[in-house]
Amino acid sequence: MANQGADRRAVLEMLAKAAAASQFPGFARWAFGQQPGARAATYKPAYFSAPEYHTIDILTGLIIPKDDSPGAQDAGVAEFIDFLAAHGEEEIQQPMRNGLKSLDATANKGYGVSFARLSQEQQTEVLKRLASDSFFRLIRRYTVMGYYTSRIGLAELDYPGLRFYTESPACPHTGDPEHRHLPPPKV
Amino acid sequence: MPNQIYDVIVIGTGAGGGMAIHTLCQAGAKVCALNASRRLNPSKDFRNHRKPYDMPFRGFGEPAKRKKWIGYMDNEYTEGIWEHEIVFTKAPGTEWTWRRCFAVGGKTNFWGRSSARFGDIDFRAASRDGYDVDWPITYAEIAPYYSRVERMIGVASTVQNRPSNPDGEYLPPMNFRCMDRILESGARKIGIPYLPDRIAQLTVPHAGHPACHYCANCTEGCDVGAFFSTPWFFLPAAEKSGNLDLRTNALCKNILVDENGRAKGAAYIDRNTKQEVEVYGKAVVLAASCVESARIVLNSKSRRWPDGIANSSGQAGRNLCDHLYGTTARGYFPQLLGQPSFPDNVSSSTVAWMPRWQNLENPRQERFIRGYSVYPDGGCGEFPWYFDEIEGFGGDYKRQIKRRYPTPVSFYIQAPTQRSDTNYVDIDPAVKDAYGIPAARLHFAWDRNSLLMWEHGKRSCEQLLRASGAEYLGSGPEPDMPGTSLHETGTLRMGNDPRRFVTNRFGQAHDVPNLYVCDASVFPNCTDKTTTISILAFTLRTAEYLLQNLKKG
Repeated sequence: MANQGADRRAVLEMLAKAAAASQFPGFARWAFGQQPGARAATYKPAYFSAPEYHTIDILTGLIIPKDDSPGAQDAGVAEFIDFLAAHGEEEIQQPMRNGLKSLDATANKGYGVSFARLSQEQQTEVLKRLASDSFFRLIRRYTVMGYYTSRIGLAELDYPGLRFYTESPACPHTGDPEHRHLPPPKV
Repeated sequence: MPNQIYDVIVIGTGAGGGMAIHTLCQAGAKVCALNASRRLNPSKDFRNHRKPYDMPFRGFGEPAKRKKWIGYMDNEYTEGIWEHEIVFTKAPGTEWTWRRCFAVGGKTNFWGRSSARFGDIDFRAASRDGYDVDWPITYAEIAPYYSRVERMIGVASTVQNRPSNPDGEYLPPMNFRCMDRILESGARKIGIPYLPDRIAQLTVPHAGHPACHYCANCTEGCDVGAFFSTPWFFLPAAEKSGNLDLRTNALCKNILVDENGRAKGAAYIDRNTKQEVEVYGKAVVLAASCVESARIVLNSKSRRWPDGIANSSGQAGRNLCDHLYGTTARGYFPQLLGQPSFPDNVSSSTVAWMPRWQNLENPRQERFIRGYSVYPDGGCGEFPWYFDEIEGFGGDYKRQIKRRYPTPVSFYIQAPTQRSDTNYVDIDPAVKDAYGIPAARLHFAWDRNSLLMWEHGKRSCEQLLRASGAEYLGSGPEPDMPGTSLHETGTLRMGNDPRRFVTNRFGQAHDVPNLYVCDASVFPNCTDKTTTISILAFTLRTAEYLLQNLKKG
């Protein structure tokens, strides 16, 4: 398209501006959510106690673990949860505290130690038993919220939005409108 | 300069106000426009290019603020843009959600962009099925205005030759995505139309505006102006003409009348100083949006117009219609499980639609009269909202989320309500807004006809999902709350009989010939189509008619 050049420049400038805006100080604390490895080594929780926070961090890692791609702990999800709680997210204030308490009670009953001190296999076992529990749903929901809104999480999904396309993206599977003969799934 | 008399006072700068300002200023008329809130700064206020992790609360919003949000569009991306200070009330039993953008450009900053023309099937609906009244206008009369509007704003679509949908002058359509190809095949099997929507989004550069780059966050506002809004398309030229005095934070209180009962201007509250200010003009264009315009009319009481200006018919505020919106079906495509992500969410737009297919040949074929349209949605979104439908945790949970990512699909119905005596707007006798202006009060409930459409839509969309090889997961439990669509119509509706209608076929008040209405309040009823492009077309016609009358003096 003949006059696409100038428009393209305008759009790219705008995208650059948006990226610059994301660097302003208010957003700096989310740096850990953006770059793997850039996570603050010692995060001081603002709402939860240090042991509570530690358990939340473990739980997020069990729910979305690191495998071929980074997991919830790499994406700083526990920090996101703590940040939300510190800013008045009632659903994860007392309910989360209560849930963590009963989680430790379960761990103590079965193994005689708190949840955080169990082996990963034991933690997984405990969590499996809680899988229909409202606390499990709660911590899973906030883990998903924190993970898939981080740079890591969006890369995991390969979110195709907020990119620049010169044409409206079209279905590439010509000759297979019903999509019944696609190549075998990769995942 | 005290008591300057403008040619025209325009109240509102959205689709109607913006088009009126544009047309009048280009013709050399001196215009004073009142806008109830501030100007937006696209690069600051439109956060459409921000990633979730660029937002402090990842787009979920600060908990305390989130509680005050009005509907899904009022969010962390558009914070500070929606009106919260100017209150409205609801009669007992009425539910109404209402996100209003009072910033310059109004809702055109964030509109859905679907832009189908109304046709004679809409204008002559009463003749076909016997309910209510025909419009005082024919399609042949308004068609040239639609064409001119399409040329101004750019609408992408195809020629479709459907009896319910007159074709227009279109830019190349958006391409069909995977989900569109699949649904198109399914729709063919069960005889439902599945076609490119008419969408005011620039698929090629148009009229000095850049083509869309399909970043997908249009509904947070476009910071490059690749879809029509009045601040991008109309207001800059109007300001450049030197004929426009645009006053911001100017909340219209009432229309002023002279001793003969004609409009002589408007009184507004300057929201910065809280002072009342009067502006005078030879004519007044009311374009504050359907319910707000009715509120202004009903609040414009004088000795000559004790029930509100131009309201000798008593119909101002009556005949309120709305679109019933809701999720008629949702599911996912197993055939796409585990496939790589496709740019399917692009434009977060109505790339396709299922235009009205009911009651076309025979107006009484279905159990309901008239018809509805459906918009499909789906593909790779910004957030995996289906996460709670998958069980478990750990590596397998993470893989299942990834597998489902390209597959979600859902449908959204757009069903018109029919006029009734019980759906209307009046003035709350007990409540005033922060500036002392009596508040609008809504009286509304879904009518039986639109609920029958909702049921029909749920069945049709379930059938379509199954015919497309999708897994059906259910529908929304009930329609969305009234007011969601922002497509209110009818409160100052047009008709030929001054005893029964507030405005005439030109949108001119029967009682007050120098008062013109340029928003969806003049539409006699609601159709299966959206309102913006019709507001633009009807306003273009009204504004040119006004100019002729001005010349005549």
